[in-house]
Amino acid sequence: MMEMDLQISTKTLEGIPVIGLSGEVDAYTCSRFRDTMIDVIEEGNANIVVSMKDVEYIDSSGLGTLVGGLKRASEKGGKIAVVCSSPQIRKVFEITGLEKVFPLFRSERDAALELAREVVT
Amino acid sequence: MPKGKARDDGKTPYQIEVPEEYVLRDEVRWLKTEDAKLFRFLKEVMNKIEPAYVSTYPPSECGIATFTRDVLTSVAKYTPFSKPTVVAVKRREEIEPYGRVVRAQIMRDDRQSYIDAAKFLNKSTVDIISIQHEYGIYGGTQGEYILDFVRDLEKPAVATLHTVLLNPNEDQKRVLQELAELCQVVVVMVRMGRQILTDTYGIDPKKVTVIQHGVPNVHRVSTNAVKRALAISDRKIISTFGLINRGKGIEIAIEAVARVVEKYPNALYLVLGETHPGVRAWEGEAYRNDLLETVRRLNLENHVRFNNRFLSLSELVRYLCATDVYVTPYLNKDQICSGTLAYALGCGKAVVSTPYLYAEEVLGDGRGVLVDFRSPEAMADAIIDLFDNTSKKEQIESLAYKYGRRTAWFNVAIDYLDLFHRVMQAAGVRKDEVVEAKK
Repeated sequence: MMEMDLQISTKTLEGIPVIGLSGEVDAYTCSRFRDTMIDVIEEGNANIVVSMKDVEYIDSSGLGTLVGGLKRASEKGGKIAVVCSSPQIRKVFEITGLEKVFPLFRSERDAALELAREVVT
Repeated sequence: MPKGKARDDGKTPYQIEVPEEYVLRDEVRWLKTEDAKLFRFLKEVMNKIEPAYVSTYPPSECGIATFTRDVLTSVAKYTPFSKPTVVAVKRREEIEPYGRVVRAQIMRDDRQSYIDAAKFLNKSTVDIISIQHEYGIYGGTQGEYILDFVRDLEKPAVATLHTVLLNPNEDQKRVLQELAELCQVVVVMVRMGRQILTDTYGIDPKKVTVIQHGVPNVHRVSTNAVKRALAISDRKIISTFGLINRGKGIEIAIEAVARVVEKYPNALYLVLGETHPGVRAWEGEAYRNDLLETVRRLNLENHVRFNNRFLSLSELVRYLCATDVYVTPYLNKDQICSGTLAYALGCGKAVVSTPYLYAEEVLGDGRGVLVDFRSPEAMADAIIDLFDNTSKKEQIESLAYKYGRRTAWFNVAIDYLDLFHRVMQAAGVRKDEVVEAKK
């Protein structure tokens, strides 16, 4: 059995669902992340915060999973904001250009507030 | 359970596959038909850098060819709107059924073909050239024809050095110095490489960057469970893999195994991989036959097993995951890179090795055990010590795995993309300008 080094949690902040990831988001683990994201969107949420502040590594599968989630969210007029503090994770978004697709925040609350404000306006 | 500690429930069947990770490219491709607006937005903002790699390339059987394919593939997974290019180096008499990614070829001993390849890349949409350097893969004295290629390039180039000799001869020194002068950056895989380039070759350390050798993305699994799947659960497994040649020092490891079996009669040494094609062309299977003779002389027929064929990545990872102690008994102190040692670390294995330059650095800080060159006694003692001390072995495995994770190809690819981006910026090339120019 492969060791699955990814823990996933969910909570709500400022009325916005926050998917918390901890560990490694890669080809072994991203299917569970995708399932969680689909569940959250199908519950009627368009905007989502994905918190990667405890993510050690992310590969292109993890990024692809986020893009797939964004497609579903944007069908409902929503967005996905990403929280990351690790320079390594931030570099992945910057170097691929995906930081222009997924707004990056340093804290979950800031990300949730931003998405909540967009819902109001 | 501590992170990085492999689990074993005693019954889980094993089918180790290293997963492909084309999720990003697949998602983007589907968007083209399912959400054209989002597709266009991604196309506009995502990194579209187009690297070209100059190297030997599979199906050529060569460690550098495999390395190049792995770098190219890993980088391409992050850049779904880019088209990578390979300029493959080969001997004229070789017929290699390359894939479509190979868009040009350099004939190793034909100087003009180096100049033609540079012209081809100058006219192409390629943004940056990544040269894989090893003296032997290029033609001319100490591979000097590669300099003709770089001199004629009108685009930025970086060179990854697979060999950095501590005591080069004049020609070897000259070729590397000029290559470093002509390229924007040279890449080495360990910090010691930068030190040697500075001290011995007088290369500006600012021109040298360290990017580690990549390894497959392997999550840790229980060694015992993999052994069960391979029907070797009652054996203590020692292994070595890679293309076999005399520099590997496998005879030293075999002599060490003779000592190990005195205390551990269930020890089994797996020598995984075929003879290096270059060696086979030169002396056939003479080295392997010598090794077989050593096995017979030491009555180790039940303790040493050769797997003389090409192993797929999944097979290789399976054997590595079934290994208790991995050994690299290499004989050459100068060796600055070892893909096989990198892979063993990536699988979280305890390694016993001779102190060649690469091993000395990556196995430092408790990540492995170093023993003297050509000393079967020291190698046997180190293996027995690890067999005796499970907690020490597990500690080494955890440190090795942690180190290896940082060097997974998906991380190394980001390092290369970052380097390409920085080099283009420093050379005054902006990708959006490049894109405009291509229209």
